[in-house]
Amino acid sequence: MTSVTFQGVVKKFGEFIAVNDLNLEVRDKEFLVLLGPSGCGKTTTMRMVAGLEEVSAGDIFIGGDRVNDVLPKYRDVAMVFQSYALYPHFSVADNIGYPLKIRKVPEEKRRQMVMEVARRVELDRLLDRLPKELSGGQRQRVALARAIIRTPKVFLMDEPLSNLDAKLRVQMRAELKHLQHELQVTTIYVTHDQIEAMTLAHRVAVMSRGVIEQLGTPKEIYNNPRTLFVAGFIGSPPMNLIDGEVSDGAFTSAGGIKIGGLGHSNVADAVLGVRPEDAHLLPGGSGKANVTAPIYSVELTGESTLVTVRAGDSLFTLRADKSFVGDFDQMVNVSFAPERVFLFDRKSQNRVDF
Amino acid sequence: MPRGRTSIDIQRIGAYVTIAVALVITLFPVYWIAANSFKYDIDIFSIPPQWLPSNPTLKHYHAAFIERPFLIYALNSLIIAASTTLVSVVFGSMAGYALARFQYPGRWRYQISFWILSTRMMPPIVTIIPLYIAFNYLGMLNTKPAVIIAYTAFNLPFATWMMKSYFQDLPVELEEAAMVDGDTRWGAFLHVALPLARPGLAATAIFCLIISWNEFLLALVLTLTERSQTLPIGIAGRVTQYSTYWGEISAAGFTACIPIMIFAFIVQKHLVRGISFGAVKG
Repeated sequence: MTSVTFQGVVKKFGEFIAVNDLNLEVRDKEFLVLLGPSGCGKTTTMRMVAGLEEVSAGDIFIGGDRVNDVLPKYRDVAMVFQSYALYPHFSVADNIGYPLKIRKVPEEKRRQMVMEVARRVELDRLLDRLPKELSGGQRQRVALARAIIRTPKVFLMDEPLSNLDAKLRVQMRAELKHLQHELQVTTIYVTHDQIEAMTLAHRVAVMSRGVIEQLGTPKEIYNNPRTLFVAGFIGSPPMNLIDGEVSDGAFTSAGGIKIGGLGHSNVADAVLGVRPEDAHLLPGGSGKANVTAPIYSVELTGESTLVTVRAGDSLFTLRADKSFVGDFDQMVNVSFAPERVFLFDRKSQNRVDF
Repeated sequence: MPRGRTSIDIQRIGAYVTIAVALVITLFPVYWIAANSFKYDIDIFSIPPQWLPSNPTLKHYHAAFIERPFLIYALNSLIIAASTTLVSVVFGSMAGYALARFQYPGRWRYQISFWILSTRMMPPIVTIIPLYIAFNYLGMLNTKPAVIIAYTAFNLPFATWMMKSYFQDLPVELEEAAMVDGDTRWGAFLHVALPLARPGLAATAIFCLIISWNEFLLALVLTLTERSQTLPIGIAGRVTQYSTYWGEISAAGFTACIPIMIFAFIVQKHLVRGISFGAVKG
């Protein structure tokens, strides 16, 4: 039973506040992803759990024990670094077996465990090599093997997939998810890649400027973003965010986008959020269009076509059927699914419910 | 096209000429003492000079190492230089690591580093009288430990700074990984940082060794007899009131070059890597 709890955790580097009053509970056996752009404090948060950064204020608990002043070696966490941090002067076997060697596990037992773990991550033929003789994907596996060899209380993963090429990344993502499910170890995973976050996490904590903007399951984060930041950060391509104003439940943008039925809200500085898949092209001459605008570009991605239109001086993208064919500057009618649009207040950055 | 070949050839010839000149300037003295050490006294001063001994002899080697105590000077030099190097490299690595890795309030990292370096800024002659008085007071004059302590005082700041820059170039995640894997800070230093800083250790060691092997001024003041005198002092002692024994000086001087050359050959590979280590990362 290992949960990780943050209570009012603050981390300052001089005057700069990297993490500000963080309150979060990572549940037992949970796969929690800290998601955010670079510099948002997510890696710092993880490093505080590992004991590599001191906590400026607040408390961190691992499995109920306050660990603020506990040395990394006594925290029983394992970490996979972004750079893998393999010991360049050790062979693969020695790298994987290092945590056991430090714990004085007898050599025979150690060799057996290294072999076992190596087989699991398909490294058993490379045990005598040095890290520099391995490919990126193999190095990544060594780092992973070194982390799982001793079944720690918590796994910490700092962008472990970001140095891999796209194909390998997708493959390792699935392996990681499966591995965590098998091992049932509480995991904190840091990434700036929202697809990784969506696919891996039980829950995602979206961070920005040292605070958690929203915490929830990937589904909640995607379908119910609470702030403008979360709305813009999650989704690929991202949600269209259109500036305009709302009076008595009707949104109007400078580019001529109009949509009604937003309750009775009035927001002077409003932002309309529409996901690309929630905007649809209407057959010509339909009166129900929310906007009629020229096509800016058409991109076929394979399973669908991304159509970007220009309404006034703002662009927005929608996902059309893969069979769609259109020309530059061709006028199209676009309608939004009214129950699937979001409204935000530019000033407070928060969602406006209607 | 017309520019290509000839200008590259000229550049290459220029480079070789420069190297040749540099080699002649640096190696000629070594060659000259080597040649002289095998000549009879009369041949050393013959005009035109004898480039190679026409009538080679080991007379001067016999005089220096059998009749006179140059073997003991050499042993003293070896003990003093090796001890100085060992102490400087051991403590220099630890101090350098501490300066490279630990957090200091405010600008204290810079202040401490600068303070350490500043001890090298005054000319050694300035410290000679205080050192002499201190060692006299402690009854340590004319002992090897006194020379070792004095040399270490001059080599340690240098070793600390060199090792500090090597450790700063090592990725810090490696030690962090070791600590998360269950090591202490000391263990991470010993098992991970130190083995990776081997080129730096080699470079620092050879510099310390050369400096203490060749040092003259402090040894001259702090030593009196063959109990603690080093090779440079012994060699200088053959310039006497009545005569300068060039043959013995050459024989001892040439012999004194050999250990350093052997050591340099051994660590050469590390040394080259060590010097270029900071420049080409990764």
